[in-house]
Amino acid sequence: MKAKAQTKKIILYIVMLAICVVTVGPFLYTLFIALKPATQGIYDGLLPANPTFANFVDAFYKTDFLRYLLNTVIVTGIAVPFNLLFSSMAGYALARMNFKGRSIVLTLIISTMTVPFQLYMAPLFQIAGELGLRNSYVGLAVLQISTAFGIYFMRQAFLTVPKELEESAYLDGANRFQVWWKVAMPLVKPTLISLAIYTFTFTWGDYLWPLINTTESSMYTLSIALAQMSQNFDGGNLKLISAASILTTIPSLLIFIWLQKYFISGQTDGAVKG
Amino acid sequence: MSRHPFSKKSLTAAITPWLFLLPSIVILVTFLAIPIIEAFQWSFLDYKIIADTSEFVGFANFKEIFSDEMFWMAFVNTILYVAIVLPLNIFLPMILAVLVNQKIRAVGAFRVLYYLPVVTPIVVAALMWKMLYSQDGTVSNFLVTLGIIDSPMNFLTNTTTALIAVAFITVWKGLGYYMIMYLANLQSIPKQVYESASIDGANGIQQFFKITVPMMVPSMTLVSVLTIINGLKVFEEIALTTNGGPAGATTTLVMYIYDKFMNLDVSIASAAGLVLLLLAIIGSLIQMKLTSGREDDLKA
Repeated sequence: MKAKAQTKKIILYIVMLAICVVTVGPFLYTLFIALKPATQGIYDGLLPANPTFANFVDAFYKTDFLRYLLNTVIVTGIAVPFNLLFSSMAGYALARMNFKGRSIVLTLIISTMTVPFQLYMAPLFQIAGELGLRNSYVGLAVLQISTAFGIYFMRQAFLTVPKELEESAYLDGANRFQVWWKVAMPLVKPTLISLAIYTFTFTWGDYLWPLINTTESSMYTLSIALAQMSQNFDGGNLKLISAASILTTIPSLLIFIWLQKYFISGQTDGAVKG
Repeated sequence: MSRHPFSKKSLTAAITPWLFLLPSIVILVTFLAIPIIEAFQWSFLDYKIIADTSEFVGFANFKEIFSDEMFWMAFVNTILYVAIVLPLNIFLPMILAVLVNQKIRAVGAFRVLYYLPVVTPIVVAALMWKMLYSQDGTVSNFLVTLGIIDSPMNFLTNTTTALIAVAFITVWKGLGYYMIMYLANLQSIPKQVYESASIDGANGIQQFFKITVPMMVPSMTLVSVLTIINGLKVFEEIALTTNGGPAGATTTLVMYIYDKFMNLDVSIASAAGLVLLLLAIIGSLIQMKLTSGREDDLKA
């Protein structure tokens, strides 16, 4: 019986590793191409014959990589804290405060989540121009500094906070703002972290909006710069693009791996309770 | 709630919620509500964005897109693309969820590795798969080795395979995201159900089809509708690999809208956008119907 369980376990691991080949394989494939020296063709063998970091160095020096990286960091750095702050403020009001028009506001916010961005991108493009937000960091972050999804997501989390904790804080003389900030916010930390990862991932990798709102190459984010580089898809360039792709992905991976404990379990716990 | 201090100061109590909502309302009205309303207006105008002149044309823009062959091609391709992604999105992440729900060592590491494509920037994902799909790439080599195709080919430049190839990028990128949704559902299934099935002699595969799949219906409907809503909006996977080609084989509705936008035909783009919205609303209505049923399922 024990031997049979052992065999089953081994088969399970083999299947799970095979799936890893599909999910992680493309990264390794790209990494191997990025490590190939100038003398080796891109598709010439899977592994790099003499691995070199030359393509990574080139990605830094032959392109404005640092500029694009800085732009992406700034835009994401604006989007994440503002979305967490504004969405949780609005979400808290919609979860915990009684006021006239609450259900209308909530319904309107939820219904905008169905509207495809592509429907309103042209008017948004025009408004961004009129407000002087073309080629600006705030202009690039504008879709993420408060989101309907974020508000709804935070509202659902605040609904699970026990009311008694807030009541006792009020008895101690705290005001609404203090109760939100000091009592409710710490209790929804896993949700805040999930929203932070969502916002980070979206802003870091967003393509369509930066593409149309950026006309100067000095304001390109990494995604736009990578896409522009790939327009000239030729042999030599491809190794450099692969290196730049890997470098672009690393920050997302590090943040995800750092916070995944909160994230995967947080999301799961919330769903089970909900 | 009546005993907390702010009920006395009724003005403050009335204003406080709106102070909490103010930043979000300002942003969402300016960058979401107004653009959406304008898009509705533009679709009934002949709006020249550069000259800033407009003329009311009624349903002329809709008549124009409905008589445009390219629009119908994009429409059909969008439906086809969703039809390819849908079954794969329903079943593959479910299998992953069952695997990472096992009580075995290093299962956390597998969850992370399966989730990696989700946090990968879409531009990077598209570039990686563009290389994998090329004539000398790994996918081609692998399928030749298996004998599935006779000679190496580029999957993105072939009219038959291009749409399937881009659909697979979408599936690959979403595997981990939907896996987590299934995992939540899976962990809410009482363990006793499996224990009694084991006692009755049901093996793992029987348990999967007789217990797991039926119990996963709530998340299956959620995943289906999210797949439909997101699938209708597909853009990057296509723009960065085939750019709508070959011969329009991967031109979807959003590619169509984007092309019109780039040609500054913003009224036509808005009208096509409204068609997209209509499809998304139909998807959402189905979701609402199914999720209201879902709560009953969970109570039962």
